[in-house]
Amino acid sequence: MKILKLAIYKTYAIINSNKHLKRFKPVVEAADEFFFGTDKVTLFTPHIEDGIDIKRYMSFVIIGLLPATIASIYFFGPRVIAMIAVSYIFGGLTEVVFSAVRRKPVHEGFLVTGLIFPLVLPPLVPLWMVALGVVFGVMFGKEVFGGTGRNIFNPALVGRVFVSLAFPSVFSASWKMPLSDTITSATPLVGFKSAHAIPDLYSLLLGSQPGSIGEVFRIGIIAGGIFLILVKIIDWRIPLSYLGMVFIFASLGNKMNPEVFAPAAFQLLAGGLLFGAFFMATDPVTSPFTKTGRWVYGILLGVITVSIRSLSGFVEGVMFSILLMNAFAPLIDTIVVNLRFKEIRK
Amino acid sequence: MAFRRFQGGYKFGTFCCQPKSRLVQAGIPRKVIIPLKQGFGGEVKPLVKTGDKVFAGQIIARDDNSVSSPIHATVNGRVTSIEKRNYFMQEITVALIEGDGTADFRMLEGYSADWGSLSPEKTEELLYLSGVTSLDSEGIPTRFKSSAIFPNEVEDVIIHAADSEPYNMSLKALLLGKNKDHLLAGIRILKKIMPDAKFHLVLNQSGRNIVDWARQAAVEYDWIKVYPVEPRYPQDMPEVLTPSILGREFPYGYSAATLGIVTLTIQTLLSVYEAVAEGRPLIERVIALSGPSWKENLHIKARVGSPLEFIVGDRLKSEGAAKDRLVLNSIMTGHNLNDSSLPIDRTCYQIVGIPENRARELFVFMRPGLNTDSYSRTFLSNWLLWMKKRVDTNMHGEERPCISCGWCEGVCPVGIIPHLLYRQIAALPVNESFMRYGIFNCIDCNLCSYVCPSKISVARSIKDGKQKLVSIGCDKSQCILPKFDLKGAEEYRGVKSIR
Repeated sequence: MKILKLAIYKTYAIINSNKHLKRFKPVVEAADEFFFGTDKVTLFTPHIEDGIDIKRYMSFVIIGLLPATIASIYFFGPRVIAMIAVSYIFGGLTEVVFSAVRRKPVHEGFLVTGLIFPLVLPPLVPLWMVALGVVFGVMFGKEVFGGTGRNIFNPALVGRVFVSLAFPSVFSASWKMPLSDTITSATPLVGFKSAHAIPDLYSLLLGSQPGSIGEVFRIGIIAGGIFLILVKIIDWRIPLSYLGMVFIFASLGNKMNPEVFAPAAFQLLAGGLLFGAFFMATDPVTSPFTKTGRWVYGILLGVITVSIRSLSGFVEGVMFSILLMNAFAPLIDTIVVNLRFKEIRK
Repeated sequence: MAFRRFQGGYKFGTFCCQPKSRLVQAGIPRKVIIPLKQGFGGEVKPLVKTGDKVFAGQIIARDDNSVSSPIHATVNGRVTSIEKRNYFMQEITVALIEGDGTADFRMLEGYSADWGSLSPEKTEELLYLSGVTSLDSEGIPTRFKSSAIFPNEVEDVIIHAADSEPYNMSLKALLLGKNKDHLLAGIRILKKIMPDAKFHLVLNQSGRNIVDWARQAAVEYDWIKVYPVEPRYPQDMPEVLTPSILGREFPYGYSAATLGIVTLTIQTLLSVYEAVAEGRPLIERVIALSGPSWKENLHIKARVGSPLEFIVGDRLKSEGAAKDRLVLNSIMTGHNLNDSSLPIDRTCYQIVGIPENRARELFVFMRPGLNTDSYSRTFLSNWLLWMKKRVDTNMHGEERPCISCGWCEGVCPVGIIPHLLYRQIAALPVNESFMRYGIFNCIDCNLCSYVCPSKISVARSIKDGKQKLVSIGCDKSQCILPKFDLKGAEEYRGVKSIR
């Protein structure tokens, strides 16, 4: 601890002595605060502050992701660790560059983006593509909008859409069976679309079906999501309305046309739905902030997801529906707020 | 009886060092400073000059033509000077009195232990002359213009002790001995001067003994109702009491009196009894010393106008006040007591002392947090409810951009969206859309600033926004007056509490 303190102190000294290096002061400050916390005190009322800060807030999302992450390392091998490391390093560098240019502190939101991004990729994606995707996602998904709190789209999803659309052939060859070296192109959703094959639902829950890195161990995702709801980090309204709507829409569709609409229970468990509903749709920045808005958002997400899965050429619709609804979130909020606060007549 | 609650709000964890139910006397100070504006009402004209001999209980300032109540000398002695002082950001006249150290004081004239036999007019006069009528956020209405309305216009009187703040004075300490009976007598005295009013007693539901006693006592009187409530901040504010207890909409920014509602605290009721039945002018207050900075957390009975240093004495743990922050009355909304020569006035009921904590902690954001209070449930202490919570002035984090987590909206007791206003005030030039989003509904409870994980001073920025709006000619009247038919003479409608 003393060594750490000394190191930070030394870095401060070096940075302060050099004109060009001074730009990186916010970065060192961020590191300093990360390790040692703050010495600031309240200046006015309220004289006391809640114990939580954004670092803890974001750390808890990471804790919620841990079961799925650890299971994925077990399923897909140490490669996953390398992907996460690459994602953190390159995404982190992008953040540092932007904070140096803007001379603003480095924000903690990246801690979550950097972990979520590799978790939504197929397991065999090359590492350079991880780096490219996360840099693109952080830069064009977040920083160009003005940084944390101002982005419209979920940065991890922006990166994921970019790489999947830019390199579709690499992407489709990157799926693999968990716990084996068999390369496959058929995720359960592809299986339904092409052959109406529905795998055992328990195998979906426990993670022995192919899929993106973080989405296969679904028990872990559900546990992590419920944990986050219990500690109030994510709002229960979004996952509930999203999953509920998928269930309702899929059951109705399946009753009318079982050829096109997969059964509801399968739809709930297949693909990235659970991961998206608990960890991506609930991102507070890109989802509506009003409670009513959150219900609407979740319901529309459900409708769009099932529609894309069943009625379009794509097999999976979670990513697109979340990005699409991200774009509509401000509109939903505006409508809700305008309904709630009537104009003042004079 | 009904169990009432309101939207939003936040129930704080139990912080350490709550005041115990022990009551001690502070003694008689040698020097007192009497502000000539105390409690509800405006500043009053001094009736004494420098050099005059005064006695404790003598009225030294009074103005029957404005909304005000008389001010008393609180010690026997001589007026040494009458001057302007900066008293909590207001420039007001104060009278400095040098005391001779004697404890006796002059009783009010015409009081009677058999208060039932006094005429309502005489009761009103006693209350006014004792100064009790200036207490609490609306004062007690009398025909002497001590509140914004008159006694016959009062429909409801809410007596509240919901203990909703992080630190509250202990009801047990206030209701020691015969004081329970005095409280009931105080209520009946007020009923005499406000015969049309209904009385509502709002109590912390966890104070079982007191709730049971109050219910039993209220059986006899069909105009007293008892409401045990959850101690959820800011239940004790009139803006929250009115809708949650009476189910009436509140004209935010105005006094509850404009609806015909008077909100009073328990200590006021006791002072009412003491004035009318015992003839004591309002020259003493019970003050709770809460928070970890005090050697002992107790209640202290002190003369109004005692300088802070006299009350603090050697009661703080640390020598030198730089290590502690003393806060007047409420830790959520109260003033910082920097200047220990300033006096405490009639409105003071609590001094909270918390340590100024500038200490840094290694990996503080990863700690399990056995003693941390938080709106989120990310600390162990949120699950181990019996653990006492630690309290200090540390920010516990750095300021970051708003992520719209919605916690401020979740706790807002008046149903506005604080972060929406914060963003608009930060980004846009002042404009009328702020009013549309309810900026004037804000009651400055500061909960949004407390819960914010990004450590943004949301409440402060809303306050600034209000000031800016007023400077461009928009004010609360445009939002409120079209919707309400407010009571009280035109000239008093706008009167809010002095702070």
